[in-house]
Amino acid sequence: MPEGRPGATRGRRYNPASIVGVYVLVLVVLQIFLLSVALDGFHSYDAGLAWGAAAVSVVLTASVVVFERLLGRR
Amino acid sequence: MSGDGHGDTLPRTGSADARPGATGEDGTPVPLPVWRRDFPYTADGEDDVTRREFVRFLMVGSGAFAAGTVGVAALTSSRGEPDGDEVEVIAREDLSVAEPHLFRYPSENDPAILLLRPDGEIVAYSQKCTHLGCVVYLDDAAEELVCPCHEGGFSAATGDVLFGPPELPLPRITVEVRDGTVWATGVQHA
Repeated sequence: MPEGRPGATRGRRYNPASIVGVYVLVLVVLQIFLLSVALDGFHSYDAGLAWGAAAVSVVLTASVVVFERLLGRR
Repeated sequence: MSGDGHGDTLPRTGSADARPGATGEDGTPVPLPVWRRDFPYTADGEDDVTRREFVRFLMVGSGAFAAGTVGVAALTSSRGEPDGDEVEVIAREDLSVAEPHLFRYPSENDPAILLLRPDGEIVAYSQKCTHLGCVVYLDDAAEELVCPCHEGGFSAATGDVLFGPPELPLPRITVEVRDGTVWATGVQHA
């Protein structure tokens, strides 16, 4: 499909600088951070710290599931 | 599909085998679907991952991280804190200020360090850095216990964090001198 054609769309391409890219970056960085916090709790015998990190990690994953559901309705 | 004029080798639908030159798992060429034969044009973004596929990859990746974090938390809960029995460590006279004594406490998997302070006090700590578990060593000049992995530092006098990424002080091992012998009697976690 030639570019500039009236009515042409950009299809399913993603711009790395888009908000989705930022969301993914923050998500991955947060998940790595939370895993390191849980390991921190493991080494210091602090189960509360480890479970807190696990809870936040699960909530983040749940947010991705919600995101996928919202995406499916459009 | 026979009898419809398209032959038996031409699937009507499907996107995975729609690209010209695509091959199957056994390396044999995949026949083009009918729509591709009728519309033999390709677009640049045809092989891009869809939004839904992308978010599903994200779900799997995030889920793997969450599972790992929950696993670490469960492991932390299940193992509990070791109490430590009373153990004879070293003769008091064998200690020197310049030379820390390394031993294992409360189990053989737990490295520990015993220090004779210049003021005569005997202190002992777990040698595992509370950041990520690397073994700390004594920096004589600075009177600090230093973790070489991420440049964390602890006070040799108290075990408190002086600098670096650790958030918690080193677990302190309580010691007693009985009849000229140093005994380890327990572990105090922060």
